[in-house]
Amino acid sequence: MKISLNWLREYVDIEMPRNELLDRLTMIGLICEKWTETPDGDTVFDIETYANRPDTLGHLGIAREISAMTGFPLKERIHPVVELPIPTSEIVEVQVLDEDLCPRYTGFVVKGVKIGPSPENLRKKIEAMGLKPINNVVDASNAVLFATGQPIHMFDLEKVAGPRVVVRRAKKGEALRTLDGKNAALGPDMLVIADEKRPVAVAGVIGGEESGITEATRDVFIESAVFDPASIRRTRKALEIQTDACYRFERGADIGFAPEAAAMAASLLCSFGGRVSKGLVDIYPKPRKAKELVLRSLRTADLLGVAVPDAFIEKTLVALGFSVKPSAQGSWRVLVPSFRVDIEREADLIEEIARFFGYDRIPAVVASLGILDPVASDRLQIGRLSQQFFHFGFDEVVNASFADPDKETVLGTGRRPVTLRNPFSVHAAILRTTLLGGLLVNLRHNQNHGTEAVHIFEIGEVFSWADESRHVEELTLGLLSAGPLGLPQWSRPPAAANFHHLKGSLESALGALRYAMLVYEPAEHPSFEEGSALAVLYKGERIGIMGRVRDAICETYGAAGPAFAVEIALGVLLEKKAGTFAYEPSPKVPAVVRDLSFFVARDVSYQDIKSAVERAAVKFLESFDVIDRYAGPNNPPGQTSLSMRFVYRNPQATLLAEEADKSEQKILKTLKAAFKIELRKGGGA
Amino acid sequence: MPSPDLEKFRIAIDAHRAKLADACAAVRDAAGLEELRNRYLSRKRGFVTLLFEDLKKFEAADKPAAGQLLNLLKTEIQEKLAALEESLRTPAAGGPGVDLTLPGERLTWGAAHPLRIFQREIESIFQEMGFGIEDGPEIETDYYNFEALNFPPNHPARDDWDTLYINDNLLLRTHTSPVQIRIMEKHKPPIRIIIPGKVYRRETPDPTHAAMFFQVEGLVVDRNVTFAHLKGTLEYFLKRLFGDKLKTRFRPSFFPFTEPSAEVDIECLACGQKDPACRVCGGTGWKEILGSGMVDPQVFKNVNIDPEQYSGWAFGLGVERTAMFAYGIPDIRYFYENDLRFTRQFHLK
Ligand SMILES: [Zn+2]
Repeated sequence: MKISLNWLREYVDIEMPRNELLDRLTMIGLICEKWTETPDGDTVFDIETYANRPDTLGHLGIAREISAMTGFPLKERIHPVVELPIPTSEIVEVQVLDEDLCPRYTGFVVKGVKIGPSPENLRKKIEAMGLKPINNVVDASNAVLFATGQPIHMFDLEKVAGPRVVVRRAKKGEALRTLDGKNAALGPDMLVIADEKRPVAVAGVIGGEESGITEATRDVFIESAVFDPASIRRTRKALEIQTDACYRFERGADIGFAPEAAAMAASLLCSFGGRVSKGLVDIYPKPRKAKELVLRSLRTADLLGVAVPDAFIEKTLVALGFSVKPSAQGSWRVLVPSFRVDIEREADLIEEIARFFGYDRIPAVVASLGILDPVASDRLQIGRLSQQFFHFGFDEVVNASFADPDKETVLGTGRRPVTLRNPFSVHAAILRTTLLGGLLVNLRHNQNHGTEAVHIFEIGEVFSWADESRHVEELTLGLLSAGPLGLPQWSRPPAAANFHHLKGSLESALGALRYAMLVYEPAEHPSFEEGSALAVLYKGERIGIMGRVRDAICETYGAAGPAFAVEIALGVLLEKKAGTFAYEPSPKVPAVVRDLSFFVARDVSYQDIKSAVERAAVKFLESFDVIDRYAGPNNPPGQTSLSMRFVYRNPQATLLAEEADKSEQKILKTLKAAFKIELRKGGGA
Repeated sequence: MPSPDLEKFRIAIDAHRAKLADACAAVRDAAGLEELRNRYLSRKRGFVTLLFEDLKKFEAADKPAAGQLLNLLKTEIQEKLAALEESLRTPAAGGPGVDLTLPGERLTWGAAHPLRIFQREIESIFQEMGFGIEDGPEIETDYYNFEALNFPPNHPARDDWDTLYINDNLLLRTHTSPVQIRIMEKHKPPIRIIIPGKVYRRETPDPTHAAMFFQVEGLVVDRNVTFAHLKGTLEYFLKRLFGDKLKTRFRPSFFPFTEPSAEVDIECLACGQKDPACRVCGGTGWKEILGSGMVDPQVFKNVNIDPEQYSGWAFGLGVERTAMFAYGIPDIRYFYENDLRFTRQFHLK
């Protein structure tokens, strides 16, 4: 809200330097970060106002705040007029048909106005508000609005058929050419001002072009009314119009002030040669009683943490326009002035007291605090998981939850995306159904900026419709790995990103959370190259997918492959019970380590071999792993050569060679029976 | 009884084996190694390759034994060459001929995203003060995001929270405040929590605006909680975050869900409140850092907490804005580009 210092001074004396004024306004909640000095010595402040304080949308309201702040009283306001002997109601017939949307409607007629340029003083005010002066009548209407916050509308009386002024809902199919030159299609939920025949203004929003003030206007009907805020808001949204008038009406106009605003406008028009009709038309069928609140001194102290003197409380509220009557011990009955639409409860009054008492005078106290619930454990698990990935060289990324619908389709998650009704961009019109898209965008960005090694992970929500009416947000873990694993070294070149490095990182990280080992099965997925993907299962439940991202998809995202990625439904996993931690003594007896090297048919998967060995429940077998693999041309056709290392131990006693032999034979027998493996020469056993 | 051919073959192989150690010892660099590898294993004229050619001449009965001999030699050579290669790359500490001034190996590790680092820093200050951490859904209903927080339908206060809607009822939460409501519905006071999380606004991205950003909100509800506690706790928090000597300023503001409401400014660290042309604070010397206030009695009523028995305060702060101010980061979009040159800096913090 633009506020002119000279204009303010018409309402209250201000005797302090500008910077002090701004500082003190800040401390009562009126922030001004920009101001301009005009050539004729005025200062125009740009003051931030709040949605609940329509009373500060005019100079009078700001002056009232300053008056309460400084103690200088508001000046008396007078609105001299030249009066016609004819009652207003004899010149124009005013009717309010929909009083629910128009609780008060007042008006005057001013005849014989000489339209012309505004006088110097008025022009300066209009210019200070950042507007161009138009003519004295239009400028007067704006001046009343900016002076008091009460919007005024002026009609050319000769263009109002009847003349009758009817406040009613628009009829279906009615339209109006408005002052901004547009055709507004009106609906039955919109309030209009109509004459005998048709609408002449959209009530509280914008006037009609035809009934507007022109150079030829001589007689003016002044409207000063109050309209229902919600209705104004709906109408201006439907018409896509924002005006100074509706901005104020939708925040709540001062129902008590409408007559004075009409008088003020009439007075201005009389100074342009007009003569005002006798007696205000004032249709106010249900006069509102002032809200009465109880304010307790003790409650004020309890909420603010400081005892504000009673005298200060009374003085402040009175200066702000409240009427204050002492009531029961330590409390007051407070009548709220009609311009303070924001004050409804005791807490609102306490805020007023705090504002003027000064937030800086309220002490800062750190309370001693009792013990409450500990942190939710999911956060600890996520923290530990992240630590593991940092350790393995993965950088954390955070991407926006939005996705480009076209690109997301390519990723083929099969989830029904949540679409935004009013996206800020067509490229961010849905919520992501996968983390992969974001990770690929990150890959491209880093590759384009000279970073080849991109090993990243994200933990965040993905969104979709589970069915017609139920949406889901799923906490998801995504990893993507591309480029060299590590920095170039003079001593040895780094390996390149690969499937098993990614798989190992995932397994180790989840292992650190004490989850049981993951199981995999071959899978096909639109995001991944054929034959390159595995579905990830946890205890039989599918919780994710990993593989080599299709080169074509990398290309869609402008990134260069090969890139490997995994996505895990982390939320699903975190709901499972992780294993409990238990201490195990380190073995005191040595283990026997034996390797087996054998040929096995290429289509036998390691996972099959592993589960066969596990199922065999081999005595003394402590652990085993694969330590070498060769699939080159020197093998028998269709065979892979595997070397596995088995660790045998008897925790109670040193294991004898014969005992280890027996266990080893059992493994061999199992593998031969299940997979027809063939020991390599010198392959052990 | 081995045939004479086989015996000759064994001798030839042993001779090669005997020279192997010397040949390896003579290698000084990668080129020498490559030369040696070719001498033995080149596909056309390597010694071993040629010996495999010789195999064809053996009688069927001798072939397996000869083949085994030759394979053993080949394995041995491969192992020696591999070991040699390794020794050329990782010279033994202090070994002769090693340039000890060569750089150490450059090891890498992953880094947390800066927003998580700031978020955790904020969390830990409040955790030390005994606050719990809570979260809630990012897709919210109009009720939790607005109505329960005392934003009436059709109220212009909603205009300050530019909202991304899914339908008439569902939206992307514009603040983490709905979690306050969800927690107060479930738990009776005392409540002392912070709520970090993503929030959404309908903003076109530019250097100071993002359609998604991180917020940390806090909520305290108990008997005898006052505005003085709000001031004390937030002042302490900001000093922990920005330094002991930090100047703070509480000034009146408006939020539908708090009454009284306060905006908290901290002194401009960029200019030390001295530069009237400072671009960070606009010359005011102050930088707005968080919003706060006493919980509005209507909010308490909406969750069936008696505002006569209990009072509370709440605050909210933007993580990006705070980090941008603390480190002079000029553009909020940097946080979401995930340029590793940017994100990796902050683990040094
Ligand atoms: Zn500054």
